[in-house]
Amino acid sequence: MSPKLKIDKILVANRGEIAVRIMRSAQELGLKVVGIYEETDKEAYHIMRADEVVCVGPGPRRDYLSIDRIIEVAKQTGAQAIHPGYGFLSENPDFPEACTNEGLVFVGPPPEVIRNMGSKVIARRLAMESGIPVIPASAVLSPGSQGDQEALAFAAEHGYPLMIKAVSGGGGRGIRQVEDDKMLLAGLQQSRSEALLCFGNDEIYLEKCIFRPRHIEVQILADTFGNVVHLGTRNCSIQRRHQKLIEIAPGGLRPALEQEICQAAVRLAQTARYLSAGTVEFLVGADDSIYFLEVNTRIQVEHTVTEVVTGIDIIREQLRIAEGEPISFSQDQVAERGFAIQVRINAEDPKNNFLANPGVLQVYQSPGGPGVRLDGAIYQGYEITPYYDSLLVKLTVYGFTWAEAVQRLARSLRGFLILGVKTTIPYFQQIVRDPDFIAMNFDTSYIDDHPQLLDYQETEREVDKIARLIAEINAFGKNPYA
Amino acid sequence: MNDRITRDMSPAEILAALRRAEGYFLCNNERDVSQSDFKNRLMPMTTVRVAPYRDAAGFFSVEVSGGASIHLDLMRKQVNPFERLRIARKHMPRTLLQTVCRGANLFGYRHYPENVIRLVVREFAKYVDVWRVYDFLNHVPNMAVVFEEVKRAGRLLMPSVCFSTGREHTDEYYVGKVGEILEVTGPDVIISIKNYAGLGTPKRVGQLFEAISRAFPDIILHYHGCNTDGNDIGRMTAAVLAGAKICDVADHGYGAIYGQAPALTLIQTLRDYDKKAEGISIQALLQSSDILRRERKIYEAFESPFRGHDPTVTHYKLTGGAVVSAFEQADRGGFLERMPEILEELARVQVELGNWWSVTPGSQILWTTAVSNVLNGRYERPSLDLQNLILGRYGPLPFYEPEDWICEKVLEYQRRDGKKWHKIIYDEGGQIKPHEPDLEHERRRLQEDLGRAVSDEDLALFLQFPFDTLSYLKFEGKYGKTWLLPPEIWFRQGGFAPGERLKFADERGVPHYIDILSTRREGANVHTTMSVDHNIQTISIQVEG
Repeated sequence: MSPKLKIDKILVANRGEIAVRIMRSAQELGLKVVGIYEETDKEAYHIMRADEVVCVGPGPRRDYLSIDRIIEVAKQTGAQAIHPGYGFLSENPDFPEACTNEGLVFVGPPPEVIRNMGSKVIARRLAMESGIPVIPASAVLSPGSQGDQEALAFAAEHGYPLMIKAVSGGGGRGIRQVEDDKMLLAGLQQSRSEALLCFGNDEIYLEKCIFRPRHIEVQILADTFGNVVHLGTRNCSIQRRHQKLIEIAPGGLRPALEQEICQAAVRLAQTARYLSAGTVEFLVGADDSIYFLEVNTRIQVEHTVTEVVTGIDIIREQLRIAEGEPISFSQDQVAERGFAIQVRINAEDPKNNFLANPGVLQVYQSPGGPGVRLDGAIYQGYEITPYYDSLLVKLTVYGFTWAEAVQRLARSLRGFLILGVKTTIPYFQQIVRDPDFIAMNFDTSYIDDHPQLLDYQETEREVDKIARLIAEINAFGKNPYA
Repeated sequence: MNDRITRDMSPAEILAALRRAEGYFLCNNERDVSQSDFKNRLMPMTTVRVAPYRDAAGFFSVEVSGGASIHLDLMRKQVNPFERLRIARKHMPRTLLQTVCRGANLFGYRHYPENVIRLVVREFAKYVDVWRVYDFLNHVPNMAVVFEEVKRAGRLLMPSVCFSTGREHTDEYYVGKVGEILEVTGPDVIISIKNYAGLGTPKRVGQLFEAISRAFPDIILHYHGCNTDGNDIGRMTAAVLAGAKICDVADHGYGAIYGQAPALTLIQTLRDYDKKAEGISIQALLQSSDILRRERKIYEAFESPFRGHDPTVTHYKLTGGAVVSAFEQADRGGFLERMPEILEELARVQVELGNWWSVTPGSQILWTTAVSNVLNGRYERPSLDLQNLILGRYGPLPFYEPEDWICEKVLEYQRRDGKKWHKIIYDEGGQIKPHEPDLEHERRRLQEDLGRAVSDEDLALFLQFPFDTLSYLKFEGKYGKTWLLPPEIWFRQGGFAPGERLKFADERGVPHYIDILSTRREGANVHTTMSVDHNIQTISIQVEG
């Protein structure tokens, strides 16, 4: 148990929608918020929402990753705490360590927890200690040809397909599926190089591939009093190349399995001496067998769906926990009601391999009405630069039934008017019309199994097309087509 | 009202009503007015604005399609010709829609293969009720496939006989030609006399109609004329008094044009002869013209700079539209001062080349020959089309062949094999059946270019005008249904002023507003900031480089 500390001012060490999301809860609690930005991000919306902002450097990206600079700003502005959001420094254990050393409260787990959970090997060991089944996996492979032999031996024992994973990987990065010995040996080399490049650590291991699993995760909260609660499950099976596209709460498991998986997550959090918000991820096989996957030691992009079905503000709880307060509710007060679906509306061109599509948002109009939540940080005229992620806005809809949620999602997607950049909206519109999605029949192979989702015609409002012609008539002083 | 003919009647009922009627009917030829006097630029929204009154006016039909209009729709109006027909149908639900088709040339300038003709007619016949069909050589086989398809589609067929003047153009010839057509079509058609340049005196036209009526007393006759010389009212009066049941007219709101003469003038004239315009509402005619007088201002830039009637047309025999374009072409080509000489030469080559009918595509052949003769020397630089004409590619010349020296100059021009003209005719002369394309292959070709499914309508346009159809369909994909714009916006000169509000409604009737906020020039770009349905956006257009 930590002594209570009243936080008056907090620095949000992030940008974009998650920075805005954190600021909202913080401001609701009466906290002053310090925002940071890089010079290349000076038009960002989160800057306008902060009570105070500081430029941390020229950017792009590197200054948002500068622990020293961010701590310097926190001290300079009198912030007592730092919320890392997701991405950037959120899972770097050096950051909470540096915060603690400088007398700042890090809103998140302590560094040793992040370190342990960040290591797939330690995390697996902790899971096993908690009585949670894990996917059969090898030890960290030795370097060079010895590692190759270890890998071949593992393959001979467990069969294909296998996954090659980076020890320090996360968010779908550093994962490669292999189908035979030849692919395995080639993949080992590539994965080591990629892991070194992405994570600064070339350690890899092998994992048995589970056939057509569902990706189910449990949201947990843990406080300094040793309380750990779960907020139910999420189904994040709809992924493209291990990047989540759609997230749903609850996870859609039968009640006994839901209970079992949530309890397993709580046990793991207790074993790991977890603190703050986190997510325990599982794979659930077609036969309802469950396997521990990993723990994300941060607030997640998809936390919104849990908030919508439980009514609990997870960021608010994080802030309370950081102040040394206990979780404000007990497990038996947690109830999931209805269904929530979140889609990530990105400035990407699905037809072009989901390539980022930076540009100026000429027009931005969003949907509203019952059961619609938007978490975004964009505005009309805002330029989506190539420097940061392409997330424009997260659309989360609520429905009392699954069918209502799907219909509301369809309606809300139609309610967007975004001009200037290509978005993932038409792709999601295909999904909400897909019979398998409507029947809630999907697993992690859904995107690969539904290539027809890309067979859409991009639609544009007739009036916008005509406006383009008006601009040409105006520019040329006559109609060039008449 | 009245004994008007409406779209819910079958072709048989329409023919019966026409035969029964004691008076005459009127066809509003907006298509020809647009082609003759406004460079084919009358936009669909003008048709829409006047449509309720036109529909109430009680015309036998309104010709809204055909001739050069299809090609110009694609090239200069950026409207789908089928869409234009759908618009006309929606806004004039009671009135028959009419087209003019150039036989085997369809709506283009060359003979099309039979499978193309059948597809095009089938697609257009979904919207067009009355088919006026002609061939510039009055060669009936050139029209036969179109006749067949129109009848198969259950539409009303109006085979046309092109009319001109001169020694060969006797009543006997024309009566014989009508007979030849009826042998192919049977009697359930309307025979049209296509007086494309408004030739002949009223007396001559009256004689012609009398002769045909005498020979075929049960046949319904239609008169299509032009008012280039200002005397088509006289000719129509004579035609009606001699038995014509339908005449092509224009709205007086477009007054003093080379196209058709005003409906109201004809009605007033024929009233003296106790001839009644069947089904016509005078009030609706007046209301139509009140609107069109205002609309006409929008199209001022497209009206001929050489306005007013031209009685000398009886000599050079060009169609209304061709007169206007001829003068403009001369102006652009820098030989305007030689026009009297060219028109004289035009009259001469008409006689030399066979005294057939100067109507598309023959009119273009005569015109280019006359211009070339004056500028380059007589028959010194003949066109490929003239060579094809003399070779009989378009069909046999109706009266006589050009003299030998002309055949020699034309056919031996740039001939590298040294073959003499009579041998060329012997070896190579006559019509060649155009190769039939694989329609599904053509569809796939277009599909690949467009990246979307191609309808039969798209294909019907593409097979006639490949390049312009592709350009148009790409335009439509990018800019949408721009015909929704009022013509005063479509044809705007000088751009838009800040604060100007552009209003239009979409097909569902939902109003849209584009407010011009600012225009900023920056280097080679012009940035227009607009509020589009209350959303502000800036669109940058590169105007240089």
